[in-house]
Amino acid sequence: MKNFKPVIWGLSTVVLLMVVIPLIRMVLAADPGVLRATVADPEVIQSIFLTLRSALWATIFCAIFGIPLAYALARWELPFKSVVQGIIDLPVMIPHTAAGIALLMVYGQRFFMGKAFSSLGISFVGTEAGISLAMAFVSLPFLVNAARDGFLSIDPRLERVARTLGASPWKAFFKVSLPLAWRAILSGGIMMWARGISEFGAVIVLAYHPMTAPVLIWERFEAYGLKYARPVAVFLILLCLGIFALLRGIAARKREA
Amino acid sequence: MLRVQEISVTLGNFMLKNITLHVKGGEYMVLLGPTGTGKTVLLETIVGMHAVESGKIFIHGKDATRLPPEKRNLGVVYQDYALFPHLTVRKNIAFGLRLRGNTREETTRKVEEMADFLDIGQILERRTVNLSGGEGQRVALARALVLKPYVLLLDEPLSALDRTSRDRLRRELKRIHKEMGITILHITHDLTEAFFLASHLAVMKDGRILQQGSPGAVLRAPKNRTVAELLGVENLIKAEAAGERGFLTSLGPLDMEGAFPGKPEYAADVYLTIPGWCVEVVPQRETKQYAWMGKMRVEGTNFLDGLMELELTHTGGERLRTSLSRREISLLDIPLEIGAQLPVGLLKEGIYWVPRFNS
Repeated sequence: MKNFKPVIWGLSTVVLLMVVIPLIRMVLAADPGVLRATVADPEVIQSIFLTLRSALWATIFCAIFGIPLAYALARWELPFKSVVQGIIDLPVMIPHTAAGIALLMVYGQRFFMGKAFSSLGISFVGTEAGISLAMAFVSLPFLVNAARDGFLSIDPRLERVARTLGASPWKAFFKVSLPLAWRAILSGGIMMWARGISEFGAVIVLAYHPMTAPVLIWERFEAYGLKYARPVAVFLILLCLGIFALLRGIAARKREA
Repeated sequence: MLRVQEISVTLGNFMLKNITLHVKGGEYMVLLGPTGTGKTVLLETIVGMHAVESGKIFIHGKDATRLPPEKRNLGVVYQDYALFPHLTVRKNIAFGLRLRGNTREETTRKVEEMADFLDIGQILERRTVNLSGGEGQRVALARALVLKPYVLLLDEPLSALDRTSRDRLRRELKRIHKEMGITILHITHDLTEAFFLASHLAVMKDGRILQQGSPGAVLRAPKNRTVAELLGVENLIKAEAAGERGFLTSLGPLDMEGAFPGKPEYAADVYLTIPGWCVEVVPQRETKQYAWMGKMRVEGTNFLDGLMELELTHTGGERLRTSLSRREISLLDIPLEIGAQLPVGLLKEGIYWVPRFNS
């Protein structure tokens, strides 16, 4: 048992290096001149903002509908709870290109739902709404599961006490459950947003244009090769790392406060 | 003030069966029962957390069976305080006041009055995670009491505390009850707590209430063996009623004239409940005060809570336990070693019988 700690650390290091080495290699290999040109490229800037924005919309949309679902899963005895839980986790399992095709079949012009939305002036094919939809579909589990775990970690008696003190179920939810689960929800939201930003498979089926950053990287790789795809990828990675470090920092500080 | 009428509740595979309980205004009712007996389920049902299958709950004279918890005006304090960890002590206490439409000024005044009353004025701005057990429980009490609930419900409020805080808070509860005149329903498995605090006692086991009454009456005359055991009666011995004269036991005949009614509906097979204080080592009263006198052998000695517990055996095989204080031991002037033969008398006044058939 003497070498327990060294072995644990050794194995852990392998995993960490597996993630970190490719990222470092890519960043270091980027030509500063080309990188500067990329940052100034309006097409790149536009696609990155489009990506961040549509992932944010997807996250907000799923927060509104997903947090109540997470609460129900955490608190109530539901007859088909494991089935519902399975449905939530499904998007993680299925290939994302397949998810994109499934979405296309429902929200495209050939199905009544797509037609209905279309008559309201909302189209999901080749639009920003479509990008958000694809992102929401594949990254929903991150938010819902994190929020569910957040609610599960709260002693249900806190809500009961709140009720005896005069709080309606709504008041108990907004004054006790939500503030206490907030950190878990925020960190789930960040994860969902991040997953949305990186989504490629489902997005490309539903909306090749307007081009999100992952699609743009793919397109430049296909059309011009590695040299031109790499700076966009590096820029996106650095930007995302910066934002997530910031948000994680905020979430962590809330925990200490 | 609180009347629970024949309620039954099923929760998973747990059941409350036909519970009836009446807590009068100003009473300190203690519901005593072992862990896992349904006391908390009963409390949460009274509060309105679980739907009843049948029966009714009346609070302050009104049928509250279908009222949501926020409309019942009951205060709850849990064993582990259940304070809101995201709020300061002050905001915990103010929580209900603000919900009930008190102004900021009223809230501040009431919170501070209550904090003074419970001696927690100096920790109002602290976060609840940094409180000691005793402080946490005072804050939980303040949060419930500040709303002047019809009934204060306490769920094992002292069980999570260390001994010193527990002793202090036990006295504190008595003071709160006396000074505020509030009605309290307190559930616990702790006998000391029950007898220290209760003005009225209910004994519960396996989802049923077995006996209710004043603590003295319940202790003097437990309804059956289970109640006697739950009340911590030290000695239960098998006996047979010998008409009007007394009982036959393996100790020999017990002279208890008139103790047994001798009516035909009572079976003659009984248990005698003999509290420890009735087992007198070296009897010194008049002989007629004893139901039985004889020699017993010291089988074991234990020290518990500053008392010496003696285990005594009779040649007939019967075992009895009793406890002696240091003062009693010093007055006895005989060695209490294992193997010693002691003269023992069983005092008539504390012995009671329970039928064997429903025990």
